[in-house]
Amino acid sequence: MSVDLEFEKLVKLYYRDLYRFGFSLTGSEADAADLTQETFYIWANKGDQLNNPRSVKGWLFTTLHREFLKICRRRKRFADEPIEENTYDLADVPVDCVNRIDSRTLVRMLTEIDEDFRAPLVLYYMEDFSYKQIADVLAVPLGTVQSRIARAKIQLLRRLSETNPPRPK
Amino acid sequence: MNTREAKEILQLYRRPVDDANPQFREALTHAQRDPELAEWLQEQTRCYDAIRAKLRGVEPPIDLPQKIIRTRPIPFARRWNEILKLAAAIFLSASITAIGFKLSEHKRRSIPQGQEITVKGEVLDMTCYIAYNLSGPEHASCARDCIRSGLPVGIKTENGKVYLLTGNAGKPVNTELADYAAKVVIIKGKKSIRDGFAQLQVEEIRKF
Repeated sequence: MSVDLEFEKLVKLYYRDLYRFGFSLTGSEADAADLTQETFYIWANKGDQLNNPRSVKGWLFTTLHREFLKICRRRKRFADEPIEENTYDLADVPVDCVNRIDSRTLVRMLTEIDEDFRAPLVLYYMEDFSYKQIADVLAVPLGTVQSRIARAKIQLLRRLSETNPPRPK
Repeated sequence: MNTREAKEILQLYRRPVDDANPQFREALTHAQRDPELAEWLQEQTRCYDAIRAKLRGVEPPIDLPQKIIRTRPIPFARRWNEILKLAAAIFLSASITAIGFKLSEHKRRSIPQGQEITVKGEVLDMTCYIAYNLSGPEHASCARDCIRSGLPVGIKTENGKVYLLTGNAGKPVNTELADYAAKVVIIKGKKSIRDGFAQLQVEEIRKF
């Protein structure tokens, strides 16, 4: 298969997942498209350095996340305040609450969560990555990933129940 | 494990992604025995699936893949073996060219320069002079022996210029000059210079 065809195949295979990841991180369609494009651009230049072809998906997600972090650093618009430490106060959110909101509202809620916590949470929901794979993609320890997902999930569920309270039964 | 601990663990559980993960096994077993926990887990799973479906329902712009493919950079595969081979070939080619230039220059300059001059100076044993900077009356005996034994002979002029002395057609002049070692003489001959080395093909030797 020619290099061009290989590239096209790869784009068609992963551009949706990458775009969704980018959109969930940035909350902006334009930024998500730019991040996806930039990720494939980097792949075209450096992809041949990847030794294991089976880790292509992880490589692409890692690259997009790194590019996103660069944007964050440039814009400096994200607060450094960590999510509250109380991981035991689980918010019970009925599925009805989720069903009543659209994808964009959900993404907007995600973007309100601190970036360090947002990326693992998005991967937790969107992709079939194991916790180890998420840790590899984001280059953080496994325990940190699980702790961040747990805390970020509580934040998201709280926002869901606050902005869209469950209907009385 | 109590229900609260099981809940803490199961809040991260995703079916079926985490089914093989041993960290959830005990908590899942606990949920099977606790109907309230099982119901909570079911609601959690439904909620997870709903959020996942919402996030995965986001569709990228239709023209995005074409845009990515269109703006793809021209691929430059960095195959280091080939790059090294190319570098070696360039180096080899440059070396051959340089040697070629040097050889042609050598041929050009090997035409006898043959300017006839007369110089006055001290007869040197070149070996001791170059290696140890030995010359003058103190070194006369050694110089004479060296010149007699066939080592190169030269002359250092009053202005400090040193010439290697040879006879006609490459014949030595050691026999003729040995007795003048470390003494000042006047020599007439044909001068040649190459790469900074000066030689005088001796035609006439006169005592000073």
